[in-house]
Amino acid sequence: MSAAALLRGPGSLLLRASSGCWCRRFWAASGKTAPAASPGSGARSPFDRQLKRKQKNWAALQPEPAKYDYLREEVGGRVADRVFDITRTFPLALDVGCGSGYIAQYLNKETVEKLFQVDMAENALKNTMETEIPTVSVVADEEFLPFKEDTFDLVVSSLRFVLIISLKFNIHQVLKPDGVFIGAMFGGETLYELRCSLQLAELEREGGFSPHVSPFTDVTDLGHLLGRAGFNTLTVDTDEIQVNYPGMFEIMEDLKGMGESNCSWNRKPILHRETMLAAAAIYQEMYGSNDGSVPATFEIYYMIGWKFQESQARPAQRGSATVSFGDLAKINALISRKK
Amino acid sequence: MSGQGVWLRARERLRRFPELLAGCRDQAVAYGRCVAATTTGHAELQKDVCRKEFEALKQCFMQAAKTTMK
Repeated sequence: MSAAALLRGPGSLLLRASSGCWCRRFWAASGKTAPAASPGSGARSPFDRQLKRKQKNWAALQPEPAKYDYLREEVGGRVADRVFDITRTFPLALDVGCGSGYIAQYLNKETVEKLFQVDMAENALKNTMETEIPTVSVVADEEFLPFKEDTFDLVVSSLRFVLIISLKFNIHQVLKPDGVFIGAMFGGETLYELRCSLQLAELEREGGFSPHVSPFTDVTDLGHLLGRAGFNTLTVDTDEIQVNYPGMFEIMEDLKGMGESNCSWNRKPILHRETMLAAAAIYQEMYGSNDGSVPATFEIYYMIGWKFQESQARPAQRGSATVSFGDLAKINALISRKK
Repeated sequence: MSGQGVWLRARERLRRFPELLAGCRDQAVAYGRCVAATTTGHAELQKDVCRKEFEALKQCFMQAAKTTMK
């Protein structure tokens, strides 16, 4: 689909976990757009964090907020898996942007001895789920963590856009040397069906289009960002979760219920009903399956980064290999010979 | 616009969209096909390229809205 390929977002260094628009209350997106194109230290966030906080608070106050938790629970579980993969006990851990504690509910006391949970939306913290780990909940701006340097052995974060801005100045700082950061965030393919449908509909109905889905980071940029933030031994892997819905309107409603409505500065505050109708028809036709349901793709990037310490293993120097990959078949002989 | 009532009423109307759309399946498919066709062929997607199909969809939609109004 050539038009759709053109319409794919700029895939720049911005990130955020977000989603379709649908006119929430529009706080006049005052002309301070300038989506920060570079993740440099002085870059202003392209997202309106005050609005994000209001959206999260609103979502947490809805009847049955747990109804929209399915995605976060799934990703929280996968992040917890990665924590278990590291065979260490972490005396003190931090969950940035915890929501109702999606990661904590999967962890146990042997792995994490004490947990601090930070979220900018106080109502979300009121709904925290049960976990056997002693926890302290803190309402704080995720970009300005109120902790001393070198405090935590483990920092986790799941699906929070502010991650990249925070990475260098906050998460890396509060980690102890030899501490590890495990994070999950939405990747570039997330909600591409929604993005394309809205763009095509707006083009056809209104003659132009503006972004309704936030831009996401490219996976290649992620490595650079983590590296520049000071992390070592990076691991980034991607995963795709596809959720089927009856139609586009249900997708948008669920995104709103998750507190994931668009909050970037350059969002258009109005989405006309006709355009929405057109987009729903296009979505159904282009992506729908035989039983009438439509898929929505969530691409998740998982990242693991370590804070430097002398004792950590480091990649060996180039050219210092003593065996070759070609000898892999004879590996048993090699090992017994070494013994 | 003032007051919360406007938002609540607007949202209420929007909540009915999926069921109204379900009743206009043919028109929706026709419109969707028209737009999808422009993404593959040589024709470029411009404003109102599929206007006829959209008007049909809109008519069906508004009809459904009227008949199911309380």
